[in-house]
Formats: sequence, structure tokens, C-alpha cells
Amino acid sequence: MSRLSERPGEVIDRTRPMDFSWNGKPYRGYAGDSIASALAASGVRVFSRSFKYHRPRGILTASFHDPNLMVQVGDEPNVRAGHRLVEEKMEVSAQNAWPSLGFDAKGVNRLLGRFLTPGFYYKTFMSPRSLWPWYQRVLARFAAGGVVGVDPQPGRYDHRYAHPDVLVAGGGPAGMAAAIDAAEAGAAVILVEEEHRLGGHLRWGDSDDLGALEELSAAVLSHPGIEVMVDSVVTGRYDHNWVAIAQRGVEGVDERLVKARVKCLVVATGTIERPYVFEGNDLPGVMLSTAVRRLINLHAVRPGERAVVLSANGPGDSAIADLEEAGVEVAEVIDARGDDTVIKASGRMGVQGVIDSRGRRHDADLLVTAVGWTTTTTLLNMAGDRPMYEPRAARYLSKSLPYDVLATGGIVGDGSTDQLVQHGTAIGREAARRASVVKFQWLTAVPTGVTRQPPDTSEIEVPPLEAERHPELFRSSTHGFVDYSEDVTSKDLFAAAAEGYDSMELAKRYTTVNMGPIQGKLEAVNAVAIHGEATGSSPLETSTTTWRPPYAPVSLGVLAGRQYEPVRYSVIQPWHERREAKPLVAGSWIRPEHYGDPVAEVTAVREAVGIIDVSPLGKIDLRGRDVPKLLEFVYVNKWSKLDVGKVRYGIMCNEDGVIFDDGVTGRLGADQYMMSSTSGGAAGVWNWLDDWLQTGFPDWDVKMTAVTDGYASINVAGPNSRELVGRLTEIDLRPEAFGYMEVRTGVVAGVPGCFLWRIGFTGELSYEIHVPSAYGLWVWERLLEKGEDLGVRAFGIEAQRIMRLEKGHFIVGQDTDGLTQGHGMGVDWAIKLDKPDFAGKPELMWQAERDDYRRLAAIQTEDPAIVPPEASQIVAGDVIKGRITSSRMSPTLGRSICLGQVDPDLAAPGSRLHIRLSDGVTVAARVLEHHAHFDPEGTRLRG
Amino acid sequence: MNQKARFSAWGLFKRGLTRSHWPRVWDHHELRDSYDVVIVGGGVHGLATAYYLARNHGITNVAVVEKSYIGSGGSGRNTAIVRSNYLTPEGSKFYDRSVELYEHLAADLNFNVMFEQRGHMTLAHSDSSLRTMRWRAEVNKLQGIDSSVIGPEEIKSLAPFLDTSDHPRYPILGALWHPPGGIVRHDAVVWGYARAAAALGVHIHQGTELTGIEVESGRVAVAQTSRGDIATSTIVNCTAGWASLVAKMAGVRLPIITRPLQAAVTEPVRQFLHPVVVSGSLHTYVSQTARGELVFGASVDPFASYSTRGSLEFATGLATHVLELMPAISKMRMLRQWAGLCDMTPDFGPIIGPTPVDGFYVDVGWGTYGFKAGPVAGESVAEMVANGRPGSLIEPFGLERFHAGTLTAEKGAAAVGH
Repeated sequence: MSRLSERPGEVIDRTRPMDFSWNGKPYRGYAGDSIASALAASGVRVFSRSFKYHRPRGILTASFHDPNLMVQVGDEPNVRAGHRLVEEKMEVSAQNAWPSLGFDAKGVNRLLGRFLTPGFYYKTFMSPRSLWPWYQRVLARFAAGGVVGVDPQPGRYDHRYAHPDVLVAGGGPAGMAAAIDAAEAGAAVILVEEEHRLGGHLRWGDSDDLGALEELSAAVLSHPGIEVMVDSVVTGRYDHNWVAIAQRGVEGVDERLVKARVKCLVVATGTIERPYVFEGNDLPGVMLSTAVRRLINLHAVRPGERAVVLSANGPGDSAIADLEEAGVEVAEVIDARGDDTVIKASGRMGVQGVIDSRGRRHDADLLVTAVGWTTTTTLLNMAGDRPMYEPRAARYLSKSLPYDVLATGGIVGDGSTDQLVQHGTAIGREAARRASVVKFQWLTAVPTGVTRQPPDTSEIEVPPLEAERHPELFRSSTHGFVDYSEDVTSKDLFAAAAEGYDSMELAKRYTTVNMGPIQGKLEAVNAVAIHGEATGSSPLETSTTTWRPPYAPVSLGVLAGRQYEPVRYSVIQPWHERREAKPLVAGSWIRPEHYGDPVAEVTAVREAVGIIDVSPLGKIDLRGRDVPKLLEFVYVNKWSKLDVGKVRYGIMCNEDGVIFDDGVTGRLGADQYMMSSTSGGAAGVWNWLDDWLQTGFPDWDVKMTAVTDGYASINVAGPNSRELVGRLTEIDLRPEAFGYMEVRTGVVAGVPGCFLWRIGFTGELSYEIHVPSAYGLWVWERLLEKGEDLGVRAFGIEAQRIMRLEKGHFIVGQDTDGLTQGHGMGVDWAIKLDKPDFAGKPELMWQAERDDYRRLAAIQTEDPAIVPPEASQIVAGDVIKGRITSSRMSPTLGRSICLGQVDPDLAAPGSRLHIRLSDGVTVAARVLEHHAHFDPEGTRLRG
Repeated sequence: MNQKARFSAWGLFKRGLTRSHWPRVWDHHELRDSYDVVIVGGGVHGLATAYYLARNHGITNVAVVEKSYIGSGGSGRNTAIVRSNYLTPEGSKFYDRSVELYEHLAADLNFNVMFEQRGHMTLAHSDSSLRTMRWRAEVNKLQGIDSSVIGPEEIKSLAPFLDTSDHPRYPILGALWHPPGGIVRHDAVVWGYARAAAALGVHIHQGTELTGIEVESGRVAVAQTSRGDIATSTIVNCTAGWASLVAKMAGVRLPIITRPLQAAVTEPVRQFLHPVVVSGSLHTYVSQTARGELVFGASVDPFASYSTRGSLEFATGLATHVLELMPAISKMRMLRQWAGLCDMTPDFGPIIGPTPVDGFYVDVGWGTYGFKAGPVAGESVAEMVANGRPGSLIEPFGLERFHAGTLTAEKGAAAVGH
């Protein structure tokens, strides 16, 4: 292969040479060259070794969908060398070959081919079982594909949303015409083309084709209503015309995912040329006619010296002319429209000879086949179409499409450029019209005084585009490769059928045909036809293949876009950072675990006053007449008589009676409530309420607003808390004016719109101040400033956890688990089974009748110095009797304290337990009378 | 199975030399007028049940009716992960038996199911999940199951591509490590059971859809199919996705909601990820097949549906989560995405047992973990059908529990940990 003199339609820029390397050796191409064309121009013929037999492989389609042109580019595996443009200093290497492409040690598999029948691995490596791990390692070495490095250059990716009226997938003549006329009709159009330039097959056509291409592409590119995306691919059409485009060539990023809500989708993805199955059909030098025409006309590469051409169609015949023009000697033309065909291509590292069906041998280094086309119906399938096989045209054709999807071009039928353009033009106008209908339907409300003209409902007449008659050519009389990427031969398909894998789906799964990176685009139709031959059925006529998304493989990077996993911080975070708080991941929040000395923080709260940032607490503003009904339903306890100014603690259970959240809800006004949830449960609680309101009680008058981020929340706790809060607010804090479990609204540190509730997780007198979040930091700092003489100190989650454990308060998700139903937590007083209904009631009624569930218990080890790690199991011998759910050393009591779940027979106060530590040692412990290790009467709290 | 049909390296060699085909793995049969047992659903559960009925209990006049091809449902759509490090002693015991069966399945069925015990790693990204991992490890240890909590360094040495650096959002703080867990070729399990069952006389009827069940005075009488009626006294519902619809044919109502679970696979690359990696917080599990593809799965979609189509939201969300774990693989490409159907019960536990209709048994409601339970479920269901009552391993999973309030539940562990 070598470079030709200038071609009229060439896409290379000979003034811009590109130096790159291939397997470590320097090569030169031109700007506009694909990696494959640049290498081919320099005489490279073998590009890869095949997956199973390690056979040498060369150019087959010279396009994105070429199974033999997968290469490694730098740290990027499986790059399509038939598509990716060569760049300066690009490092390209072959995949799947060792030590070199020319000599591949695993090529020995070619000799073993007769033993490596499909599914051979299911039939061996079974005994002795001890050797199986070794077999696994050997098999793993044969995995195909490129290499990913542990630390590659990070790619840059982005997402974009688009709302075009019309999206045209495919920039061939019909697609371009559709785009132009849709835009002319006023539609906002996006035109997406997989290749680097518009034009489809016109690009490698004759001067008339090139003229038409020039005209159409100029019209497209200059039209203000059309956004053109080349080197981009529509990867999927999902429900409601939600269309994904992987776009390359955008400045600043490697790839971008465009998510488009399309009013009318036009599929103009055309056809892909189909390979022919015969002996030696995978040898380097066996190429499709489109590959040859691309190489000659786009890249000015002479694909061989002496060619045999097997042609069954006009484009195939045109390849003959191209070959001759490129100075390739055409040794023989075999017309496949008659009875003649190719039997075999022979050669070792590439084609050397071709044997035809008359038994003649032709010396040749190039065999060009043009035996038919496969329609690229993936997007149609995804739109619900079930394309049917049309034997007359030897390809699948669209059967029925939804209103918002249209098809044009080769996917519909054949024709001259004029006919294709006429069809595209009509489809483009119809697409614009349908887009306007869809748009009208989408507009649910129109401003008063505006009358909208209903859209035109008369369909535009689309001229017919008939699929031409074409002979059905799938396999010659010999066996060859059907799936190049998976190394599946027609013989394998026959073997699979004979073994009983006699439906196409089973044969596919058994032989892995169609499962490789080409996704069946080249081989699916041949596979179905040959499977039919093997089973004596005609599955083409009866089957419709399922094409699953994506249309073309799409990088994980572009699917993810910018790595953006949001982290949430409280507005007080700057202060925490200044004090070097130890960060703690709590769901999506990062919170201060402590500020250096959690024990001192506990002491400060118990003896003076402390403040903790509890902003992540879930907060939901509930308003409306029926809020009490909702509370009554989602909480297990009673809510109907909650007076304004009161706060109540509540527990929520799922329908299975399992506790899933707890928190307090206060009544701020006649019809206004504020619900709080755990930090981690905030989203779940919101969904739970919303679910019930939407599905169970749509008539209820309840309005929910999530205000977690709207308020910064600060808990002020400790004996001095009343004094401290009193210095910042006019709200009457005297115990008789603002009692335990009450809520007040007012001004704090000059900030209006705050609400305070008097509750106590730590067991101390405490006020939880909720401040409009913009002023959170301000109030926090004022508290510290005004409380200096009171001994105020900030405390973190760790101190809070210690104190709540001292008080015996459980944490949902830590002291409960996915099996813990309400009664197990010792909150029977709260579960009101006499309420007419609430979520989880039937299950809790059942539970109340039983006595076989675990109970929460406060536990103390006999040796006060041992703190059993959380999750330590409580055992009797080897039988599990419970587990420690929380444990700490209590600074207040100077001993180890625990909460745990224990079997009912051990739950009684005073029961002696055995706790198995992770090292296997067992320690003794006792169950306490109350959950609280400290101040069980709660005198401090209510003071 | 006669000696000629036995799979072996020697057989492969001989047939390679003579270039002769292997005999059929299973035959086509005419539908008989009656069978002792009709099993609905040709997935791993149905075929394993048929196999163990024939092998362990000598009941061979059995038909497996499958509306499509065998393994076309959940058995061919799952991510083929096998493990036994469950949270409850009951769950661990059950799945431990399943792992044991999987370990010997190739030899037992004379079909290499390619069970690769690559190890199974469940990552903890927060204190609370680390606590759950410790809990699981402690329970597992007491059950004699190989399971322990490991730290970031060991994680890095087992799976170098995991980003164990100091992340703000999803730091890898530790993991539950379960060496016997791994992956298996799901199709091979289906085919292995089918071939072994067929060799014992079971009839496998593909393309045969159950269309109705005739019940006479509270007993199963006839299984109506798209190919004709079958007189039978015993029908076992081993379907997934359609379990509640099949049960309805017998007038039995099942507390099941069907939800899709999506999965995806990438193009193959050279081996770089040995163990199975699971992240509950990121709703993702990843493994690399022997062929080099990465297989991804997620949690069930948050809505009820019978659709097996993949969504864009899944693909983008999945990629985000996977790259959070392994940022180095951003240039790998997703090749295919699909969905399977999961029958979810209120307590996430399966429903196995007799029903109010005599002779109508169910082995359904397997949620997201039916595949890994296939062998042990088959063994237990066969025993139940042969003896007329459930054995101790499956006793807690009866249908009546939903009316008695004795839920079993593996919710804690089964919900996300695959």
C-alpha cells in the first residue's frame, strides 16, 4: 500500500505532516488521515491479532466499525484506528500481540483451532478441581483488548442539555437535506454525524457526488438554524425522545455528552457494508468495497497492487473504477449477481491468492467484496420499531415508528442522490411540522390574552424511496469468520446448532457471536442467516434483532461528565476549618467530629455550656389544614392534639414496622409545622412523605418545603445554656414561659425569623436555635463571644455521641438495623396501636403479640476499663444472642458504657451477658435497668 | 449421561481430531399429555429444581416450560456474583450452602460453570457502613464463613485501581473481604443444569408459555400452555418478573412488586481487576470477566415496571459512581446496557413453599439475589416437592409469613450488597 497523488475528494492536508509512532517506530501521516490510513499509506498491512486464534488482521471497513483496527493510543485502549485522526506525537501500538504483530506467540492457537471449538472451556478444566485456579489465570491472559493504566491522564468531560425541535442523526445526503428543510421551516435543528465530515457516501463518490456534497454541506454549514456536530454519535434514543449524543471536538474537553429532549428525531444513519463469509475472509487484504473507496478517495492510499473484486451491486462496481484509477491492477471481477463467487482467499500474513467458484486461482494481494448492506436500525429499535427483513433487498427495513421519530436515507431505501435528497427534504419538512405539533402539546399553559395558533395537522407528502433488489449473499460454500472481534466462524455456528444451542439467542450466548465491541453491526445479519442455514430454518424472515443501547461504545468519562459528587457543608464550616475540626463524612455532609479533645468538650457541656452545629438535621416546613393527619399517619405516636408552641418527638416506621427515622416536629402556627429528621434520613423522609401524599392521600391539604439548607441549626446545651441564649434574645426563656418540648419563634442576635425548640439529645438543658442560614455563622460567633465568661465551648459529633449514649438515646441506623421493628427499641409508650391507621401498624400489632424480638438494652461490662468495639457479638457459646450497637468510654461516669440489642431472654435488667471481642476473647457484662447510664430521671434536662 | 457425551479434555481432543460434533445437550420433545411435575420457568431456579428432583428424588417425569429460551430471564441478565457473607445467621447458612454447591457444580454437572472465586469486597465509605461491615464479619466468623474487615492498604493491594486516596465524599475507609465470593458464567449454570436434567429424563420445553392453570377442588389439575394442556398434580412457579402473574393463574395472590434492575458491560481490556468490588453507598458493583469486560450492576430502579430497557440516567449515574471508585478507567467504553426484572417482596426475602392451592408451589420473590441462590433453592424446592413440605433451610420463607407477621428479612444486607 502506498500514497497516491492528489485525489479530488481527499480529506488530507498534505501541507501538514503528522509524526507519530506505531509500536515504537516513527511514522508520518497528514492532518486528516485516520491512524489506519496513515499507516496503510506507509505500507502497514497487519494492524492487530485476533482475540482467540491470534490471526493477523488488517483493514476491513476502514471506518469506526472496523473490528480489526482496535489499537492502543497512549493510555487509551480500544481506539478505532479507522476513525480516530492521527495527531502529532501520538503513540499508537497494536493490541493483543506478543512479542510483535509479525510474530505472535499465541498464534499457536491457530494450530489448535480444531480443538478450541465453541464453548470448549465449558467442557474442560474441570478436574482436578485444584488446578482450576491455574486454568483461570491462563484463560485470563487471553482476554482481548487494550490496557488501562493505574494513573492515566485524566480525561476532561462535560455534559450539556439541548432542546432542539429536530435532531437529525446522520449527515449523509438525506440527513443533510432533512436538516436544511427542517431549518427552513423554522425548526431549531441539530445535525449529528459520526465521521469527521458531512457527506456520507458522497465523500468517496464521483465528481457529481462531490458537487452535490459541496452544495449540501455549504447550505448546512451556513444555515443559522442548524447546529452541526461532527465526530459525534447519537448513542441512544430513550423514552420520550430523550437522546444522548457523545460529542467530540469541542474546545476545552475531550468529549461531551449532549442530552437532548428532541421534539422530532430523524434517523438517517444509513447502511453499513456487510462482509462475506468464506475461507480466509479475515486475511489482511480482504476489504469491503467501501473501505477501498475510502482509502483511495478520502486518504489517497493505494490499497494493494493486484485486486480481485467480488461485486453484487453498483457501489461495488464503482470500486472497480476507483481501483483502476488508483493504479491497482484489477485481475478479476467476479460478478456475484450471477452464480459466481469467491471460495477462498489464501496467504499467510495477508492475501496472496484468491480461488473462485470456477476453481480458478488468481494471484492478488487484495480481495474486494461488495455483497450487500446492513441497515443501522439501532435507534429505530430503541424507538420501539421492529424492523423486518426484506428478502428482496437482503436487508432489514423499518416497520413502524412512533409519531416523533422519522427515518430517511439508506435506512429507508435506495436511490440517486436527487431521490435521496428529495426524500430527506420531505422528511425534514414533516419533522419540523411534527415538532411544532409536539411543542403545542407540551405547552400546557398560555399567558392570558395570548391565543396560540394550533399547528398544521396535514401531513407532508413524502416521495417513495424503494429499497433496490439485491441478491442475498451471506456465505460462500466454505466456512469463514462471521464475527471478527470474537473470532467466531460459521463452522462454530453450525457446531453450536448441532450441540443443541439451536435458537439464535442461545447460539449467540454460546458462541459469543455479536457480543464484541462491534456490537453485531457487521456480523449480526450473517450470523442470523448462517444460524438459519445450520438449523434448516429461515430466521431472518421471522426474527427481529434486539439492538441495545448504546449505538456505539461510549466512554465512561463522557457518561459521567465532570466528576461532581456534591459535598455539603454547613454555613458555619469556615469557623470549623479555622479551629481545625476533624472532618467526619456523614452521608453527603462533612461535619466536625471534634475540635481536638472530645472528652473536654463533653465536660464543658456537662459543667458549663457547649454549642454544636447541627445544621444537617433534616427540616421540612409543613403547612396546610391536613398536616395533623399526615403526622398521625407517618409517625407511630399521637399527634392530633399538638398545641401551637409545642414540640413532640416522633418515630417513623416503614410498612414492615421497621424504624427508619426519628425526630421532633413542632407546631409554629395554626397551620404551620416544622418537622426535623435525622441528617442521613432527610432525603428518605422527604420521599416517604411525598410518596404518601401523592399516592395515598392526594386530596390532603399539605404543602411541603424542604428547608434543611434554609436554616443553620445550633444546639446550645449545658447548665449555662439558658443564661447564654438569654443574652442574645428577647424571647422569654424562664422555665414557666418556655418549657421542655416547646418551640418559640423570634429574634436571636438581631436576626429575625429564627425558631428555637427546647429539647435535649445530650441530656442537658438545651435550646436548639434555627437561624436563617445566611446568619448562621454570625449567630454561632455571637454565642461564643457572649458566652466566654460562661465557659462556652464548641463541641463536635463525637462528644454528642458520647453524651447521647450516656443518656441512652438510640440512633436510628446505628442502634437499629433493617430488621428492628418499633417495639424492640423500648418505645412501646410511643406506639399507639389504637390509632385508626398509620404506616407500619399491622406489622407492629403482630410484633406486640409476640415476644421473640431483640430488645435495646443499656449494657455495662463488668470490667469498667474494657470498651467492646461496636458490632461485637453477644454470645452464649457459639450462638449469637445479640450485639453491641454503641460503645464508648464515658468521661462523665469514668467507665465503659454500651447500648446493644439482646435476645428477649437476656433483656431483663440484671441479666449477665457474654460479649465476644473481635480477637475471640469473651468478657462479661450486665444489662441495666434504664437505657440511660446517666441521670435516668432527666432532672438536668427539664431544669 | 453416557460416557460418549461426557465433557472432558480428552473428548475435546478426540472430536478435534475427527472433527465430529458433540451430541445435543438437550433434545426437543413433544409435549406429553401429563407430567408428574410441571416447572414454570427455564431459568436457573427451574432447571436446578428439575435436576435435583430427578437426581436426588428419582422424579423424572418432569417438564420445564419456558416461554422463550432457557436462561432468557433473570438468569441471563444478572451480574453473576456469588457470595455468602450475609448479615443474618439464617441468610448466611442458606447462601453458604449455595456457595458450596457452586464450588462443586462443575464436577457435579460435568459442565464447567467457570466459578472464579476471585474474592468479594464490599467497600465502606463511612463510619456507619464500616460498623455494618464489622457486624457482618463478626456474624460470618461465628458461622465459620471466611469474612473479615480489611483496611485501605490491603484494599489497595488487592485492587490497585481503587482510589484509596483521601476523598472528600466517598473515602474508602475499609472493606468487608470475603475470599470465597466470586463470579460464575451465568449461562453455563443454566445450560449445565439443563443438560444434566435432560440426561436424567426431564423434558425441557422452550418456546412454551404457560397460559393458565386449572384448579379443581383446591388442587392443581391442568397446566395450560401455548402448545397444549398438561394434566398434572404439581406445578412449581420458578419465574421471576412474572411470578405474581403466574401465581394469579392459580388464584394465588403474591405480595410482589416487580422492578427493573439495570446492568451494563464495557469493552474488554486486559485484566486489571481481580476481586468483585461492591459499594453500597454508590449503589454499584463491578467485576471483570475472564474475557476482560467489566460488568456493572446497580440497585433496583425506584419504580415498578416490566420494562427491560436501559435508561440514560442509569448509564450516566453508573459511570459517575464507577469513576468515583476507579478514576483511572474513564477512557473505557460502555458496550451494552440492559435491565432485568426483580420481584421484590415486602421484607426482601424470597417466597418458597406451598400455597393455599394444593400442588401449587412457589419459588419466587428473589429480588436482586436470585441467581446466587439458584442451586440451593433448586435443591430445597426439589426436596419440598418430593416430601410435600419445606425443609428447615427454607422454612422461614413461606408465603404465610406475610399474614402472620413473621417476616424474615435480609433487608440490611441484601438490599445493596451483591
